[in-house]
Parts: sequence; C-alpha cells; structure tokens
Amino acid sequence: MAERVVLSIGTKKGLFVAEAAKSRGSFALRGPFGPGVGVYSALIDTRGTPRLYASSCNPFFGMKVLRSSDLGKTFKETAAAPAFPKDDGRALANIWSLETGDGKKELWCGVEPASLFRSEDGGDSWEMVPGISNHEHARKWQPGAGGLCMHTILRDGNRVHLGISTGGHYLSEDGGATFKASNQGVGAGFVPDPYPEFGQCVHKIARHEDAPGRLYMQNHGGWSEWSGPGGPRPDIGVLRSDDHGRTWRSIAKGLPSDFGFPIVVHPQDADTVYVMPLEPMTRTCPGGSPAVWRSEDGGDSWRRLARGLPKKRSYFTVLRDAMGADRLKTPALYFGTTTGQLWIGREGGEEWECLYDSLPPIHCVKVAVV
Amino acid sequence: MARSTTITIVVPGALRQYCEGASELFLSAPTVRDALAQLERSHPSLYGGVCDETGRVRRHVNLFVNSHHVRDREGLDTALQPGDVLTILPAVSGG
Repeated sequence: MAERVVLSIGTKKGLFVAEAAKSRGSFALRGPFGPGVGVYSALIDTRGTPRLYASSCNPFFGMKVLRSSDLGKTFKETAAAPAFPKDDGRALANIWSLETGDGKKELWCGVEPASLFRSEDGGDSWEMVPGISNHEHARKWQPGAGGLCMHTILRDGNRVHLGISTGGHYLSEDGGATFKASNQGVGAGFVPDPYPEFGQCVHKIARHEDAPGRLYMQNHGGWSEWSGPGGPRPDIGVLRSDDHGRTWRSIAKGLPSDFGFPIVVHPQDADTVYVMPLEPMTRTCPGGSPAVWRSEDGGDSWRRLARGLPKKRSYFTVLRDAMGADRLKTPALYFGTTTGQLWIGREGGEEWECLYDSLPPIHCVKVAVV
Repeated sequence: MARSTTITIVVPGALRQYCEGASELFLSAPTVRDALAQLERSHPSLYGGVCDETGRVRRHVNLFVNSHHVRDREGLDTALQPGDVLTILPAVSGG
C-alpha cells in the first residue's frame, strides 16, 4: 500500500483522524471518536502494524485509553487505563502524553497529577513508574494553569527525559529507575529564585533522534518586565541543551516573544527548530497576527513564517502538543488552534493553508507517514 | 449483624457498556458503600466510572437513593431498604 500521511487530532470533543496521500493534496477526515470527551494526547505507533492511541479524558466517568488497529477507522478502549495504587491517595485527573517504549508493545504514559506509567502490552495494563511518580519532589510540584501535568516523555537508550508543568525537566540515565531534576539554566518567573532546582513551568521539550544530546525546550517565558523579587528574567522561554539536558541556555533572542507552548524539531535536521510565539498575558498571537518562527541554526537566529496565515484579528492559541511535522523529504508542519482550525505549512512551513476551520478546540496534533 | 436488602441500581447510558448493556442491576446491600463495593468486585470498569482510585465518588457523578441525593442523607453510609433504587447520574456540567 502506498504511504499515507495520517494526522491524529485530539480536541475538546473527541479525536479526529485525517488521512492523505503523500502529496498531501486533500485530506479525508474521520471522527469524532470518543465523541464529546476531551482528548489531550495521541500517539501514532508505527512499530509493525500501525496503531493509533488516544487518551479519552472524561471529567464525569474517568480516564480511558482508546486504540485503533485499522488506521483510525474504529477505536476501542484498552482493557485498562493508568490508575494510581489504591493506597496512594492520588487520583488520575488527565492523561497528557503517550509515547512508544521498547519492543513492539511497550508504551509510556504521562498523567496528571504528574506521574509516569508504563505498559508492556500495548495499553491493556499499566504499572506506575515509582522513580518519578514517588520522587521526593513529587508532592512539592504545583499545577500550572493546565493542571499538574507530565506532558513530555523522550527516550534515548537508558536516558529518559520528562517535562512537567510545573515541575521542570527530570532526567533518568538508568532507564527510568531513578530521576534527577536537571534544570541548570532553566528559569522560572513565578518564584523568587529565578533559577530554582525544580518547579519550572516547562511547556514542551523536543529533540532529533539522530542528535540525542541536543534538546530544545519551550519554557514558560514572558518575564522580561517582571519587577518583583529577583528582578526581570528575559529570554528564559526558549532554551537549548547540548549535553543531554544537564545544562540549558537561552536561544530566545530574535523572537517577538519568548512565551509559547509547542516546540518542534525538523525531522531531517537537528539544527532546524520551530516555535509559535504568543503574547505572555493573553497567550494569543502577537498583534493578532499569527506566525511560526523557524531557526535553521539551532536557535542562533529566527525567521518568521506567515505566508497564508491571517495577517490581523487572529487571536488563537496553539497548545503544547498541537504542532508537529511529518517525515517526508520536504516535511510539512501542522498546527491546531484553540479556535478549532487545523493548518498545514507546506515546504517546511513556507506556505500555510487552513485544512479545517471549524473543528472543536484542538488540544493535540500528531503526524505520521505510514 | 448487617441486614441485607435487594435494591436496584440504575445505570446511566454512558456506563452501560461496562455491564453488558444493562440499564439496571440488582444486588443485596445494607448501605450505598456496600453496594459500591459489590460493584467494584462484579463490574470493576463500571465502578471505575463512579469512583476514582481513592474510593471517592467522582466529582461530576451524583448518587441518589430514590429521590434523595446521598449527600443530603448519610453519604456513602446511607442505609438501603428493600426495594430502594440507587440511581447513578452524571451532573449537569461541562460545555
């Protein structure tokens, strides 16, 4: 079968799946699956027969994981969703990240309140990962506006990077058995200490598979005019690490705002990275004029990509998992908005087109070529 | 010794997939808490839609014994009489 581009679009009212030929000429839309229930995380698992996963976060009746083995034509609940042990005292409030693990069936899942779960059977049973879920810092983390969420899971051999809002970046070098806060250079604007050991409001972390030591972070920026204790904290919002996340430095210079949620790395070039700057107070597009910004030199300089996007009166937000890129030779970017628009940025973001303009508010967009 | 009674549990549509489509279940239980404990054993997914891992009734789920919300009586310790109807209802909330 010819390769297809598949988008998994998690919204406030369920999951949608869009599919197109490699030319990306026109997309067919299916869904909503888990109708009426918010989907905050999705995964397109391309190990073997492709499987699509999505969290179905029902505020009435609890959290579920949906799974499809027919490329998003039908979905069923897995046999179980992550759940805290009975005597733990915490209750699952949301599912924020789903990622592949080892082998063909291992999955990792980050939840709210911030904790990590692992499944060895494709999501039918889950075990809490105590090294981070019961970390000595865990009961000291505070929820951000979106909740106390573990939203990023990046794996590189025995290294595991986690992003927690608000908790910061945690690093394991023993396969997830133990974790350490690893936030040197990661600032915070909402506590007196501008560079605390942990507790930063990390929004998203990304990396290129072939350059595992290089990480990019969209942190909670927008503190350049802060006049309280500790003084202003400019440019703490967009960061880079070149030592597997042990230390971080700002790469925000040149951006219109260092606040934003998603950060995406070009699938073929570890030096090319994309962000979506937002005004820190409103969390909407600066001046009502949305743009994706691209750096092709690892964050040393930035260029605005807005051809085809609205030029004015556009005040949407793009959430942390709502931007991605496909892996075709000349990749396309995709982002979904809180106003229910799904945009495609052809030619690596040079030319933007609205694919769907009236979906429910979009929480996450995942892309794969299968 | 606790008295056992046969009561009816009314299951909302969204949770019937976890009890083979049944709209009503019948069991003997002296209190709401005991009825939920039996549900946990017999229909764990259905129970999981009513209570979270800590055993608390979910925030947006209401339990009524006949026409009375259990919070206006004795909470989960509300006693059940023969023929009582325990209704599980989602709250009116959301957007």
